[in-house]
Amino acid sequence: MTGVVLKNVQKKYGNVTAVLDFNLEIKDREFVVFVGPSGCGKSTTLRMIAGLEEITGGTISIAGRVVNDLQPKDRDIAMVFQNYALYQHMSVRDNLAFGLRNRRVPTATIDEAIARAARILSIEPLLDRRPRQLSGGQQQRVALGRCIVRNPKVFLFDEPLSNLDAQLRAQMRLEIKELRHRVPTTSIFVTHDQVEAMTLGDRIVVMKDGVMQQVGTPLELYRTPANRFVASFIGSPAMNFVDMAVASEGDNFKLSGEGLTFKLPNQRFPKLGNSVGKHVRVGVRPQHLRLGAPSGDGQVGVTGKLMVTEQLGDEQILVVRVGGQDIRVADVDPELDFSTGAEIETFAAIENLHLFEQSGSEASLLRVA
Amino acid sequence: MTDVSLAQQRSVGFFGALAPGGARILFIFAAIGVCLIFAFPVFWLLLTSLRPASEVFNVQSGSTITIENFFEVLEQPVVLKALFNSFLIATLATILSLGVTATSGYMLSRFRGAIPNTWFSLIYVFRCVPYVSWVLPLYFVTINLGIFDTYWGLLLPHVAVHICFFSWIMKGFFDGIDPSMEYAAMIDGCSRWGAFIRVALPAALPGITALALLCWLYTWNEFLFALILTAHEVPILTVVMAQFVHEMGMEWHLMSATAIIALAPALLITIFGQKYVVQGLRI
Ligand SMILES: Nc1ncnc2c1ncn2[C@@H]1O[C@H](COP(=O)(O)OP(=O)(O)O)[C@@H](O)[C@H]1O
Ligand SMILES: [Mg+2]
Repeated sequence: MTGVVLKNVQKKYGNVTAVLDFNLEIKDREFVVFVGPSGCGKSTTLRMIAGLEEITGGTISIAGRVVNDLQPKDRDIAMVFQNYALYQHMSVRDNLAFGLRNRRVPTATIDEAIARAARILSIEPLLDRRPRQLSGGQQQRVALGRCIVRNPKVFLFDEPLSNLDAQLRAQMRLEIKELRHRVPTTSIFVTHDQVEAMTLGDRIVVMKDGVMQQVGTPLELYRTPANRFVASFIGSPAMNFVDMAVASEGDNFKLSGEGLTFKLPNQRFPKLGNSVGKHVRVGVRPQHLRLGAPSGDGQVGVTGKLMVTEQLGDEQILVVRVGGQDIRVADVDPELDFSTGAEIETFAAIENLHLFEQSGSEASLLRVA
Repeated sequence: MTDVSLAQQRSVGFFGALAPGGARILFIFAAIGVCLIFAFPVFWLLLTSLRPASEVFNVQSGSTITIENFFEVLEQPVVLKALFNSFLIATLATILSLGVTATSGYMLSRFRGAIPNTWFSLIYVFRCVPYVSWVLPLYFVTINLGIFDTYWGLLLPHVAVHICFFSWIMKGFFDGIDPSMEYAAMIDGCSRWGAFIRVALPAALPGITALALLCWLYTWNEFLFALILTAHEVPILTVVMAQFVHEMGMEWHLMSATAIIALAPALLITIFGQKYVVQGLRI
């Protein structure tokens, strides 16, 4: 059985398109994360699934039933909001009971469901308090409880952790992850934070300007980003990019940019043939740059002047100026001492290079398709 | 955390926060002075109401104290009727105005589109019209509708004016309430209307209570509409009070007694409702 299916879903506000041609099949019990910068249409998509927003085009089905014309209350979903959205004039217990009472569930069953949810989330001592008397983390736990008691077909989360401070956010992230095992339910989680997306999602949907950029497991997105946007959005520190001209030279492509030249073997990068005479963007993650000189054909060298070092304790990050551009090198031994202005020699394995078109959708040139 | 800082702030005391050290005494005296200035006319009114007719012009020096005035006033059927009418009009106007403005304010706060926009502009225009200039047109309207000098003839104009003013205030109350609470309710099994009634309205209740008390007091004290839009059929307390000033002289003692009687419910509401008013209007 399928969880949620979106087919050609579209949303327009007047003549502004908030979501364009969204297609996604979410499996039963799958945990999918929508991630993207603010304003990219994540919430709008989620709210269309919830029924809080009219669907301009396409169809949405939940558990095999098209829900386009169903009221939110008839869709059998539950939602957690960024600002908790607890009923301020009710006790925590009544907050949890509200949805069940509306559905005329017998009192004994309600009490049981509340007791179970309270136990799972450790909010038993809070049941008789008002939402105002709770901390942000506690309120968000109650909001989660309100979802659990209902036992719905789908959980929807709209940036539920954004209002919490960093430490609490990390803790709640773990709790949500744990919750998945205790209450396995199809879930859609919206966030702008790629770390949240990577740690929580079975699959991640990356969005930008209302358009889905890529769908995949966290590892797929990290290893084979479909375009430059996904490549720069996923991973921290962000991927380094260098603009390079492509020329053909025997069995190799010769790439040359400001202060940087290297060769890539033809047969490994077949799609690069179309770019001869043009420019491409070469990307490499800071973690994939190693200190030292390249050895052999499988590696390319990047050399530049050290501008800044960022000491993080367990690693340090070097900012190296290559040509006119700053490039970050991560995972450097924190014990090493560098003097600013020194020449830093680094290398990367060619399988860790990402190549993107320089214009248009900046699609990846590595996917053979 | 906020609770702690609030408590610390409070412990300094109002005057301490305003003017620390010796200047505090000065402020306390000033505050007491201001209170006395406001209380003095009421005190004088009370004194006058307790004096016989012959002594109203030397209220301060005489020694006769009587509650005869109150009996005399309350024996007049018109006063009793006016008490009842004022109470009824104030109560009904409050219920009707708040019933309408709760929904209208909610609409203005939550919905966009042709209807809310038109409504908003209409209210805005009417709000700009000075209160006094409403009276005369309303007089002719009520005459034409045949409701002059009836309950409806006073009630409807009051409600109309209240709607213009209170819709904005109500909009403010609902603007202060997070709409995602209503979305949560809709997902939890409520209709759109149900989310308004069961979640938004209770959340706005402190504000609405405050507004209700102020609305009741306002209508109870209102004079101009009552004077122009009613005659003998529907006597209103504020008008009846003024009618103790007539061709045969001024019955200050009776007027004062009526005024004190009129003051009583207002005072009660102010004292017991103060908590709600302060709570509800604090944003
Ligand atoms: N009620 C609305 N009217 C007009 N435009 C809207 C409305 N709600 C959202 N939008 C627009 O739709 C786009 C997507 O918004 P949203 O889904 O909230 O983004 P996010 O990814 O940050 O959740 C934004 O450009 C926003 O300006
Ligand atoms: Mg959003």
